[in-house]
Amino acid sequence: MNFARTMSVLLLLSATGLVFARSAADPGPATSEKASVSAEEPNQKWMIEGARRYRENCGRCHQAPSNFSPRTMAMVVRHMRVRAMLTEQDTKYLLYYMSH
Amino acid sequence: MRSGAFEVVFATITWLAVSCLCAAQQDAPPPVSTDYAKPEPVLSGSVAFIPTWDGGKPNLDSIVTPVLLVPLGNNFVVESRAELEGNFQRRNGTTGGFTGPIGKSLDYAELDYIGKRYVTVTVGRFLTPFNIFNERFYPAWIRNTQTDPLIFPLGTGSDDGVMLRGALAATKDVVLNYSAYFSALSNNGVLQSERHAGMRAGIFLPRRRLELGGSAQHQLQGRRGTRYGFYLEWQPLRVPFDLRSEGEYSRFEGNGFWVEGAYRFRNANFLPLRRAQLVGRTQMFHTGKVRLAVPELPTADTKRTEFGVNYYLNDGWKALASYGRTFTAAGNRNIWTVGMTYRFVFPMGFAQ
Repeated sequence: MNFARTMSVLLLLSATGLVFARSAADPGPATSEKASVSAEEPNQKWMIEGARRYRENCGRCHQAPSNFSPRTMAMVVRHMRVRAMLTEQDTKYLLYYMSH
Repeated sequence: MRSGAFEVVFATITWLAVSCLCAAQQDAPPPVSTDYAKPEPVLSGSVAFIPTWDGGKPNLDSIVTPVLLVPLGNNFVVESRAELEGNFQRRNGTTGGFTGPIGKSLDYAELDYIGKRYVTVTVGRFLTPFNIFNERFYPAWIRNTQTDPLIFPLGTGSDDGVMLRGALAATKDVVLNYSAYFSALSNNGVLQSERHAGMRAGIFLPRRRLELGGSAQHQLQGRRGTRYGFYLEWQPLRVPFDLRSEGEYSRFEGNGFWVEGAYRFRNANFLPLRRAQLVGRTQMFHTGKVRLAVPELPTADTKRTEFGVNYYLNDGWKALASYGRTFTAAGNRNIWTVGMTYRFVFPMGFAQ
């Protein structure tokens, strides 16, 4: 029993360490790569990708939402990232798609 | 399973899952800039009025579930959902005026820290991530069939504690997701929770719209039993059909499963028909070694099959009706539901 507990604690600690080490090492989206976005000319490639991810993720459970402001959509997408286990990629493409 | 064995299995699976997540290199962040959209607080939720006739006894079920979402900086969010539910029944079963309690519950009130990419840390009161119905399909405006699955009380509800969860695309066609959590015992009326630890892990194939996963949960109180679960969700690419299923097993409390299919007439020539959806669900529950271990579970082996139709008036309103029959040793009975659901979203508008 004690061995099992010790092993469990060690495994969980190492897993937690891996997560935070990995998170700290991730550079995240490079600022230089970010393209300027204007509401008038949405990037068609991102829109298509966002629509695909919408069908694959959101459309599995519920209907398409109404058109809300980008700030409202940003909140909804952040909420759904937690609730529906969306990836970071998904949330970015979805927000772009749903706010244009 | 002995408690020690469960701990090792739990920790090993968690370690393997996290290692896989961390090793995956395919999840490159997209060059999409969304800096123009800073989140604002939102009041969302749903309202539902769902009269049900179960064995001839009418039950006027009215549900209001407000959801409050408040962003804090770039990585934090506070989210909370309450549920006010009125269950009004006739005084004498089938005669007399309607009366009944109005239940108030706090489903979740949590602070989420959304880590860089692979992990979200949640503290507070959260929905138990045991299988997926509780977290994803529970709200009346989302679920296809309005009655709760028979096995729903098994392992689900709300927890007070801490949770790690996350998802990432291991490859272009494979998304892994996981949750691991610990909950403390609370006997407070609104904050009731059980002392247990558990995890859920799933594989989602987005191109095939197929998700499979499993759950395990070990009680750290009482009988110290372990609950297991599996789930499946599939939407074929060429047919507007949803297939959802869950199964759960607990030696003491019981076991069972449900399978639900829903077909939406999206391709119908008659335009109003495109808003309609046919639903069917069948389910089964077998009692465990200890009856009434969970009071909300059926007290005898039960089977139930239901059919219904949902009509989506627009993205917020849904009308519904269904018929089902319950088969138990205590007697068979019909169950009818009709009703409306409405989903609302109100931006709160003020700056962070």
